[in-house]
Amino acid sequence: MLPIDAAAHRSGWRHRHPLEKAVLGLGLTLSAVCLPAWPGAPLVAAAALLVLLGPARVPGRQLWRAFRVPLGFCVTGAVPLLFQIGGTGGLVTWAPDGPGEATRLLLRTSAASLGVLLFAFTTPVSDVLPRLVRAGVPAPVVDVALVMYRISFLLLDTVGQIRQAQAARLGHTSRAAAWRSLAGQGATVFVRAFDRAQRMQAGLAGRGYDGTLRVLVPTAAVSARFLGATAGLLAGIGVLTLVLERFVL
Amino acid sequence: MHIAEGYLPPLHAAAWGAASAPFVIHGARALSREVKSHPESTLLLGASGAFTFVLSALKIPSVTGSCSHPTGTGLGAILFRPPAMAVLGTITLLFQALLLAHGGLTTLGANAFSMAIAGPWAGYAVYRLLRRLALPPMVCVFFGAFAADLSTYCVTSVQLALAFPDPSSGFAGALAKFGGIFAVTQIPLAVSEGLLTVLVMRLLSQSSTGELVRLGVLAPARPDSTEAVAR
Repeated sequence: MLPIDAAAHRSGWRHRHPLEKAVLGLGLTLSAVCLPAWPGAPLVAAAALLVLLGPARVPGRQLWRAFRVPLGFCVTGAVPLLFQIGGTGGLVTWAPDGPGEATRLLLRTSAASLGVLLFAFTTPVSDVLPRLVRAGVPAPVVDVALVMYRISFLLLDTVGQIRQAQAARLGHTSRAAAWRSLAGQGATVFVRAFDRAQRMQAGLAGRGYDGTLRVLVPTAAVSARFLGATAGLLAGIGVLTLVLERFVL
Repeated sequence: MHIAEGYLPPLHAAAWGAASAPFVIHGARALSREVKSHPESTLLLGASGAFTFVLSALKIPSVTGSCSHPTGTGLGAILFRPPAMAVLGTITLLFQALLLAHGGLTTLGANAFSMAIAGPWAGYAVYRLLRRLALPPMVCVFFGAFAADLSTYCVTSVQLALAFPDPSSGFAGALAKFGGIFAVTQIPLAVSEGLLTVLVMRLLSQSSTGELVRLGVLAPARPDSTEAVAR
């Protein structure tokens, strides 16, 4: 299992209804994207961090390990904004508001990423997928996604084992050997994926498979109190951002 | 190649979501029809999607000595066709956003457009065109995967340039800026992915002929021939 999903299963909010966490996490993300980056994004980020490290009980080290991935993308993506092409000073020069725009982008993407991480770190994907049918996603697409989700972990384990076996047989000692090993990994995963699908098909056929994959979905009621608090938090962040932007900063 | 969460302004994110929607809906309808008429396809399609997801976890040694990962769009499009890839690719991007923190949910539409739609269609078009010109199958596979990777990177550059036009030279300058920065890594990566796809396809054509025939990548062997002939 991947670290974020494993943490979601252990989260303090594991048993809350996914809709509640979606409204909070994705609400924070949308707030980060739609509100002025300064001071909106720091407020959103602070709220997301408080919830993640507080009631959601996500370990700080795990959160950092997950967050540094989007952070790397955000920093790389902000660098081009520092430069302009074809100004009066030469072909490539510093952009007039480059540092400001790059900082605002960095703040916005960081805060928005924390909002999605709040949802991801508290809601296992296996809780979300079966409920997508109610949201209008066709059942066959959800079934395919469920199978993808289950098989992916097995295949990732397989890739790790193959890589270890190849390394033990000096499969990565030269560039040519590394390429051969890599192609072997891709081809073996393909073969294993189809082999597993065929065996699952045979197993399901023996149990009267009629084309629908029925899975147990943990029952949870949507808490009106939680949704009310979320709406209050999001509205508070919005109002505070606009007030701070207009009258203080 | 993933556009990070929150990177695009709200209007751009919504517009790219709207642009991707028809392709994803078309793919979802085709997939639903396939599953309803052949229920056993669910597992095969799920395995195909999982394969695409895991492909992106493989690490390619890049020219500069560091590592990166393949997009898998070229191989996916050749094996499973672009309409299926629109759905499988979008689900893969959703999993990457939620399980790996790669990409994002507000940028899902933009990422789906570049990686699950433009990349597979461009790669598949190049592959089919070269097959019609009767070039050797592995040459077609290489250029198909190369085109898929390169077009994904070009579309991403356009998306970023539209969102952040250059203060002095506007969209064209921004396109040169983003394209130029990505080109340093993406052109070698596109070559790497093309080579990797050729190696994988060579192995698959030796070890999984049955699956490739079932997917329509290889033509069934004629009764008088022992070898399957590439379409």
